[in-house]
Amino acid sequence: MIALPSPLLITSMAAALLAGFVCSTVGIFVVRMNLSSIGYCMSHAAFAGAAFGIMAAIDPLVGAVIFSLGTALLIGPLGEKAKLESNVIIGFLFSVTIALAFIFLSMIPGQAASGTALRILWGSIFAVTHQMVLLLLLLAAALLAFVILFYKEIVAVLFHRKLAEAAGVNTTVFYFAILFFTAAAVSLSLRLVGGLLVFALIVNPTSTAYQFFYDFKKIVVASPLVGMASCLAGFFLSLLTDFPVGASIVIVSAGGFAASIAVSPKRRRGGSAAS
Amino acid sequence: MSANTSDPAVVLRNIAAVYEGERVPAIYDINFTVKQGELVSIIGPNGAGKTTLLETINGLLAYTAGQGYVFGKDIAVHSRMLRKHIGYVIQNFDIDALAPFLARDVVMSGRVGAIGPLRFPRPSDWHVVRDKMELVGMSSFSSRPAGKLSGGEFQKLLLARALAQEPRLLLLDEPFSHLDISARRQMSELLSRVNRTQEVTMVMVSHDLQSVPAACSRVVVMDRGRIIMQGAREEMISSAAVASIFREGDT
Ligand SMILES: Nc1ncnc2c1ncn2[C@@H]1O[C@H](COP(=O)(O)OP(=O)(O)O)[C@@H](O)[C@H]1O
Ligand SMILES: [Mg+2]
Repeated sequence: MIALPSPLLITSMAAALLAGFVCSTVGIFVVRMNLSSIGYCMSHAAFAGAAFGIMAAIDPLVGAVIFSLGTALLIGPLGEKAKLESNVIIGFLFSVTIALAFIFLSMIPGQAASGTALRILWGSIFAVTHQMVLLLLLLAAALLAFVILFYKEIVAVLFHRKLAEAAGVNTTVFYFAILFFTAAAVSLSLRLVGGLLVFALIVNPTSTAYQFFYDFKKIVVASPLVGMASCLAGFFLSLLTDFPVGASIVIVSAGGFAASIAVSPKRRRGGSAAS
Repeated sequence: MSANTSDPAVVLRNIAAVYEGERVPAIYDINFTVKQGELVSIIGPNGAGKTTLLETINGLLAYTAGQGYVFGKDIAVHSRMLRKHIGYVIQNFDIDALAPFLARDVVMSGRVGAIGPLRFPRPSDWHVVRDKMELVGMSSFSSRPAGKLSGGEFQKLLLARALAQEPRLLLLDEPFSHLDISARRQMSELLSRVNRTQEVTMVMVSHDLQSVPAACSRVVVMDRGRIIMQGAREEMISSAAVASIFREGDT
C-alpha cells in the first residue's frame, strides 16, 4: 500500500468520482443508441491524441480532445446513415488509432518517458492535475444541465430516433451533442483510467443500471451512482493492492455488471434457465 | 398553425424520391391529394413504395422531383415545422423486452416536438397523455414497461403516442400488422372514430385490401413505385387489375 500525501489523495479521489459520473452518464446514451463502436473508436483516438501530446510536448489532454473530437466529426455522419460501410470504416479507424497511439508512444523522447507512456496506457492517480479536476467538474455540470433541460427530447430520441424526428425533434443536434459529450468524457478520464480501458467505464455502470430498471428516470439516477461507486471502490482497491487504478476501476465495474446480470429482476423469470 | 382551413391536407405533384446511393427512384410520378378530414388507404404489395410515400409526406425523406404541400405549406421548406402537426405510426417497430421506457413516457415522447425545446411537460400535457391512452383503451397500462406489452398493445400505444401529439394529419404504416382479426376490427373502428370525432386527417398504409377500414373514403393502389389506380373501396375490391397485382405480389 502506498502512503499518499493527502492533497493528492483528495484530488485524485475527486477525479475518480467525477470521471465515474461523466462516463456513466454519457454511457446512458451510448448504450441505448448503439454507439458503442463509435465510442470505442473515439476513446482510442483520445488515447492516440494523448500519446501524441506527450510526444510533441503539448498538454496530452489537448491532444486527446482534438483527436477524439476529430474522430467524432469524421465518423459521426457515417453512424447517422446506419449503412454497412460505416462498420467497415469504424473497424479501419479503430486499428489506425491504436497503431498511431503506439507509434507516438514509441517516439516519446528520453528515458523517463516510458513510465509516462505506460501511465496513459493504463492510467495513474499521479497523472491527475487540478486543471483536470476542474474540467471534469465543468463537464459534469454541463452534462447535468443537458440531461435536465432536454430530458423529454432525450427520452424521445432514445426510444426511437426516427419517431422523434417525425414528431419535430431535431435529432441530429442531439446525436452530435452526445458524440461531443462522449469525446469530452473519454478525453478527461483518460489519464486516470487509461487509454485502453476508459471505454469500459462508459459501458459497464450503465449496463448494470439497465439490468434493474424499466423506468428511464431511475436509470438516469442509478447509472452515475453505479459509475461513481465503481470508481471509488476501484480507487481504494488500487491503493490497497497497487494494481493500476484504471484496471481496478474497470474490474470493479465489470464485476458489478456480472453480478447484476446474475441478480437482475429483469432476467429472473423466463431467463435461460427456464426455457 | 396559420394554414387556411380550406387547404387540402396533402398535395403531391409529380413527386419522385430517390434513396441515397440508388439510381432508380423508389417512387415516381406521384400525384396525390388528400382533403382535410379524409381517411385514405394506400395499398400495394411489398416494395411498392408505400412507406416511402408516407415519409415523403412528413419530410423524413426529401423528394427529388415535383412539389409537395401539407396544409398549403411547401414540404421542402417547412418539413420540421410541419412534422409537429403530422403524427406517424411506424411500420414493424419491434421494441426489445428490456427497453427502459414506461408506457406513459412513450406516449409523452410523441408530444415532445409540440411542447418545444426548453419547456417541461405541464400537467395539461400529462392530461393529454392520459386522455389518449384512454382513447385507445390502454389507460391501465400507464406504468407498464413498453417492452413488456403484447404486439397489439404496443401497436395501440404507438397510436396513442402519435395522437398525443394532437396531429392534424396522421400517417399510419401498416397499423394492423401485429394484430389478430378481432384486434384488427377494433383498431379499424378506433381509427374511424378518431378520424370522425377528433377531425384528424388520416393516410394509412395496408398490405392488403381486406384490412382497409369500411370508413375509408378512398383507396390508392401502388405498385412498383407508382400510383396505378385510386377510387372507392368497393370499386377497388371488385377490380380485376388490383386482384392480379396482389396475386403477383404474394407469390
Ligand atoms: N433506405 C433505403 N435505401 C434504398 N432503397 C430503399 C430504402 N428503403 C426502401 N427502399 C426501396 O424502395 C422501394 C420501396 O420501398 P418501401 O417504400 O419500403 O415499400 P413498401 O412500404 O410499399 O413495402 C423498395 O424497392 C425498397 O427496396
Ligand atoms: Mg412499408
